[in-house]
Amino acid sequence: MDTENLYLKIRDILVEQFDVEESSVTMDANLYEELEIDSIDAVDLLVQLKEVTGRKIAPETFKEVRTIRDVLDAIAVS
Amino acid sequence: MRLLKFIDHFWRLVATTLSFIVFGVGGLIMGVLVFPLLFVFVRDSERRKFTARRLVGKAFGGFWEMMRVMRILDYKIEGAEHIDDTRNQLIVANHPTLIDVVILTSLFPRANCVIKGAVTRNLFMRSVVRAADYISNSQPEELLGSCVAYLQSGGSLMLFPEGTRSRAGEGLVFKPGAATVAARTGVAVLPVVIRCNPLFLTKELPWYFVPATRPRFTIRVLPPCSTSELADGGLSERVRRQQLNESLRERIGSELKRMEFSA
Repeated sequence: MDTENLYLKIRDILVEQFDVEESSVTMDANLYEELEIDSIDAVDLLVQLKEVTGRKIAPETFKEVRTIRDVLDAIAVS
Repeated sequence: MRLLKFIDHFWRLVATTLSFIVFGVGGLIMGVLVFPLLFVFVRDSERRKFTARRLVGKAFGGFWEMMRVMRILDYKIEGAEHIDDTRNQLIVANHPTLIDVVILTSLFPRANCVIKGAVTRNLFMRSVVRAADYISNSQPEELLGSCVAYLQSGGSLMLFPEGTRSRAGEGLVFKPGAATVAARTGVAVLPVVIRCNPLFLTKELPWYFVPATRPRFTIRVLPPCSTSELADGGLSERVRRQQLNESLRERIGSELKRMEFSA
């Protein structure tokens, strides 16, 4: 899956499952502070991304992640 | 009077140091001798699990009692009638001091708990954690599932939703994990409030900081409550766990405030 589609996928998960306003989702919005997802959501997201991409982001890497851009970068290197 | 105070203060510093040494040496003996032997003598893993936990509970209870006898601290337990660790329940407590898990494990020896990954890999502690079959937090995406599965198998589990020791003087902050486990299993929740005054063994203080007067621990076990008391039904799991988290934090936090004013 390319970066563009993956971004849309993440946006959909955020909007549909984590009650995030679609308009507030951007590449650089802080997931925890601006989009108000919590650590349980983050783990959920991690699991779902693993299913979609077949790639596993290391938990230590995911801890450093703050924005969707960080998520995409983490997937790219994993 | 002043001399007596000085002697008391100095003694508590010596005794605290001694008790840390006892803890280390005791842990070492348990880890390299007692628990490996348990694997030899108790072959059935289910029986071994509870024998191991009973041993840990007794050791921690002994340690805690030793600290009291040495006059390092004093404690009282309130609501003891709510203590029954054969129940299928989630024990949730605040986490003001380094020895909270020692206290809770001695009160609820059969309960499971979550152990730091670093401890489960520790050469000496590995046998203890394996024998007692405690849950490790080394795989964050599996942690929730392990906690849920354990409760669904009928056991009891203790969690400290703050995730680490409290920041003294600030309001409680609960991470959502414990509430999620409660929301997904629907088991009864047993809130436990721990208070230590004056401050001792907190996150900010070094272990050798001994306050001017003897610290008093109060462990107040609140009545068990159902998840439906803590959150409305019919909501999405996500909203339910947020509600649950907030009402648990409120229950424990307000009780803690009451304890501060009444003491």
